[in-house]
Amino acid sequence: MKNLNKESKIDLLLFLLPPLVVLSIFVIYPIIGTVVLSFISKGTFSLSNYYEVLTESIPLKALILTRLEPTPPWGALIHNAVWILISVPAVVLLGMILAYVLRYVFGSSFVLGTVFLGMVLPGVVSGLVIRFMFDDSIGIFPRIFAVLGVPMLSKTWTIYPQTALLALILGSIWLWLGFSVTLYSAGLDSIPSSMIESALVDGASQWQIFAKIIVPQLRPVTTVVILMTVMWVLKIFDIVYVVTGGGPGGSSTVLAMIMYMYFASSLEYHKAAAVAVILALLTLIPAYWYIRIVLKGERE
Amino acid sequence: MWLKPGFWYRKSFFQKYGLSEPKSYDEFVQLLEKIKSIQGVKNPIASGDGMGWPLSDIVEHFIIAYGGPQMQLNLISGKTRFTDPSVRRVFENYLVPLLQKKYFSEPIEWTTVIPKWWAGEYGLYFMGTWITGMVEDPNDLDFFPLPESKGVVGGADYAFVPKYSKNVDAAVDFLKFLATEGQGVHASVPSGKIPTWTKVPVSQLWKPMQSVYTKITQRGMAILPDLDDSIGGDWQKLFWDQLKLLWVNPGALDSVLKTLESAQPKP
Repeated sequence: MKNLNKESKIDLLLFLLPPLVVLSIFVIYPIIGTVVLSFISKGTFSLSNYYEVLTESIPLKALILTRLEPTPPWGALIHNAVWILISVPAVVLLGMILAYVLRYVFGSSFVLGTVFLGMVLPGVVSGLVIRFMFDDSIGIFPRIFAVLGVPMLSKTWTIYPQTALLALILGSIWLWLGFSVTLYSAGLDSIPSSMIESALVDGASQWQIFAKIIVPQLRPVTTVVILMTVMWVLKIFDIVYVVTGGGPGGSSTVLAMIMYMYFASSLEYHKAAAVAVILALLTLIPAYWYIRIVLKGERE
Repeated sequence: MWLKPGFWYRKSFFQKYGLSEPKSYDEFVQLLEKIKSIQGVKNPIASGDGMGWPLSDIVEHFIIAYGGPQMQLNLISGKTRFTDPSVRRVFENYLVPLLQKKYFSEPIEWTTVIPKWWAGEYGLYFMGTWITGMVEDPNDLDFFPLPESKGVVGGADYAFVPKYSKNVDAAVDFLKFLATEGQGVHASVPSGKIPTWTKVPVSQLWKPMQSVYTKITQRGMAILPDLDDSIGGDWQKLFWDQLKLLWVNPGALDSVLKTLESAQPKP
């Protein structure tokens, strides 16, 4: 800025002004407005909205249920955490393995196309596909478990509190796998072939190449996949709304669903804002690390 | 007016297997047992599922039949709580045993289950009168309410004339027609509706709805408001969701009633 003359500075400001105005109106103002709204309760500034949403015990609106049960409902925050714990390792492992294996397999484009389908389908359509996947009369999962003789899992998964959340998680893994495979495929392309050829000359097995060269070389991609998956899971809403509506008995609620319930069903906008702020703060943690990695990459 | 009058069945299905409409709760259970024993039948009753509302209609029908029409009204106003022993008795004595014996199917999307029910995978289906427009042959349809029922849920259509319309008088005149003679026209076509204007002759109604009208009026049944539609809001969604839980886990009755009561509006 210091080196610019007055005319250039004016030009720069003129270029920056339109996006700054748009950002201020459509991004910054709503964010500040939401945060302020979340602290207002009965006309006064307080933490009561946060207290009330965190201690709510009605299953369809609860963030944390204190009763300890072996099966859901546990509250949306716990459901989101379980979702992350299951889907992140699955998306990373499956994405990496599929991207690696499919490079050497005939007909891989068909498999890749099927995997990638989840990425391009609208959320509502994906939700319907997930419903079908876990339906006892036409779904692949109940049929497999029927053949294996597991009665509990040969029913319609989405209508039982024990399996509804798991069905959504498995469905979401399919949806997000396309993203993971795409990133890992690009990552694999960037690994110098000389590295693998040298390992082959030294007598390394395929497994050793995968474990000692491919996996470490893909570490930056893995970090991005983990962070993006965590952010995606924290924000997930559409498939939950379509497949289970958060039920049965609140066993598959998620944070975004609770926010929607407060906003669109009970019209408690202040509480909806409080949940939105909690959700945003949780999303900011992986987002912060992601931005750090991106900036570090740019500097290098 | 639409109604949620009871359990629909195919006349041909009943004729084929020598079934008849029950005259008491015990006969109703016997009928379910007979249907269950028919080869190819998955469950005697198909349970429709949308966001959960078809299940709530079934529950309301049981409340009206075995708790009485006043219980339905008191639950709406909040005077009677869901944890009240009288309400619990309706569930415990009449509905839960049927769920435990798997007489009801698992909740299935309410439109996709219709062809399955029609094909004989299920014997009965609880639904509103709009079902008459959703089946292959509405003349093969008939229904029965729970034998002890003295009321059914029904809802009228409403029309509004904006105050600032150009032709308010003409619009009001047209609505007067729709509310009187016009109902005869509306009910004479496949609309699944019955007229609230009592001067419409039964013979003018669309044939499948004549049976509905006759059965309801002959029994002198009260037309009652829909419980969850009347309360609405968050509680309605909670009601639907908790019933979906009850359907697959009847043992959770006390927890379900407690949850419903905790959010039930106070009078």
